[in-house]
Amino acid sequence: MRTIFKIALGIIAAIGGFLDIGDLVFNTQAGALYRYDLLWAVVLGTIGIAVYAEMSGRVAAVSNRPVFDAIRMRMGFGLGLVALVASTFVNVLTVAAELGGLAIILQLLFDGPFSLFVVIALLSVVVIVALLPFGGIERLFGYGGLLMLVFVATAIDQSPDWGEVAQGFVPSFSNSTLYLYFVVGVFAAALMPYEVHFYSSGAIEEGWDEKSLKENRLNAVIGYGLGGILACALVVVSGFLFHPLGVQPNDLGTVALPVQGAFGETGLLLALAGMLFCVGGATIDSSFAASYNLAQFLGWEWGRYRGPRKAPRFTFSWLVFLFLAMLIVLSGINPVEITEYSVVFSVVALPLTYLPILLIGGDPSFMGEHANGRISATLGWVYFGVIVILALAAIPLLLMTNGGGG
Amino acid sequence: MNPAEPLFLAHRLLDEQILDCDGRRCGRVDDLELRGSPPRVTALLVGEGLYPRRLPGRWLRRLARRVAGPETWGQNALRVPLEEVDAVDVAIHLRGKAEELGLGHGDDPERWLVRRLPWN
Repeated sequence: MRTIFKIALGIIAAIGGFLDIGDLVFNTQAGALYRYDLLWAVVLGTIGIAVYAEMSGRVAAVSNRPVFDAIRMRMGFGLGLVALVASTFVNVLTVAAELGGLAIILQLLFDGPFSLFVVIALLSVVVIVALLPFGGIERLFGYGGLLMLVFVATAIDQSPDWGEVAQGFVPSFSNSTLYLYFVVGVFAAALMPYEVHFYSSGAIEEGWDEKSLKENRLNAVIGYGLGGILACALVVVSGFLFHPLGVQPNDLGTVALPVQGAFGETGLLLALAGMLFCVGGATIDSSFAASYNLAQFLGWEWGRYRGPRKAPRFTFSWLVFLFLAMLIVLSGINPVEITEYSVVFSVVALPLTYLPILLIGGDPSFMGEHANGRISATLGWVYFGVIVILALAAIPLLLMTNGGGG
Repeated sequence: MNPAEPLFLAHRLLDEQILDCDGRRCGRVDDLELRGSPPRVTALLVGEGLYPRRLPGRWLRRLARRVAGPETWGQNALRVPLEEVDAVDVAIHLRGKAEELGLGHGDDPERWLVRRLPWN
């Protein structure tokens, strides 16, 4: 009974922790531009993150290897270094996007100069990580993120033409490069690599072993699956309200407006608070991911569970990555723009960290009886194909659409 | 697999995580020392000074050496004799403590970095 309760709490945290700044930006814009047409891409990305997270969680639980441990073993130093440099670049850009988003949401809630809130956001993150143990951090932001359910309530309250919404789940293509750019963006926003780097290292932080495999599968399939509903709700509420008006949401405040339309001032506050938890949690996850990767690749001691005294280089690099992200935000680039770049570059770097996990996950000499079965292997390779195609298309589309500007 | 076998293979030891007797992570196997005929692994080589040799191409290696500095044995390149290895499973477990072998000195408790970190 206790374990069921514990697993349920983990799943709830996974649902609440699903969204981050990338989903907020891309899904809202996708709804405004193409109404419900891109819902299928959200589903495609959600299944992708479930497959990848399940596999990396299983590899971590069985062989005790988080992502960049597996990469160093499978790809060696030279090729692994390419994966490390690319992932670190993307992860730091993501930390900047999340930190900037956090500052904007704080500014919307409390009003004041942006750069002040950037510094406050950074200091709050450091204080929270210093005070809470690993599990506490995950739960605080996971449960808080459940406030995003007001977007689901808003979608129901708007009572859109559900037949039209259902049609959005059927894949459709058009010749428009902007449409294709948003297919890549919405997919990539659901499948950000830092989420998996963090998830697999978290499995080690929490001392997972073979007994945790069921928890891992439920977390990935149900937790991320239900998290995908929140991501779909962002598209639906934006499509319902902004698409007919021809509004192009270019700032984070607009994301929460449909909720205000449905539930007034209280709704707006709940939506902003939900966004605060989602983006705050993602700031921590992405910055941890950057340090996990570095420490694992180079063999340093790492982990929140060790404490800063026992893992000083890990802790120090984490502070450096946060500081770099702060400099990027303070340089004056619009955080929404940083978000778009971080999401698009993420999908370019994704195959480098996805392939080694797929190979080790399917290798009985590492995994024994827990190697990929027929379903994980098939899904894993199909998604590898999808990711490679999107990775190749991402940069040309970014350039051709002028960063989604049309 | 037994490390005493001839050619206990590079792909099993190379790049593997090293843990000391307290379970402290203290580096990865950055290169191997092979001796004899048939060649046997006689030592694990560890340290950032060895990174340049792991890169492909002369040009890249030269660049890396310029950034990382030259290989200096006992400092940024350490030799761990195979006798120091206790067991090999999902990581390499050493018999002794990291400090005794000079490993993981970047994470040593007396380092200035550790003392200066907040919340200690």
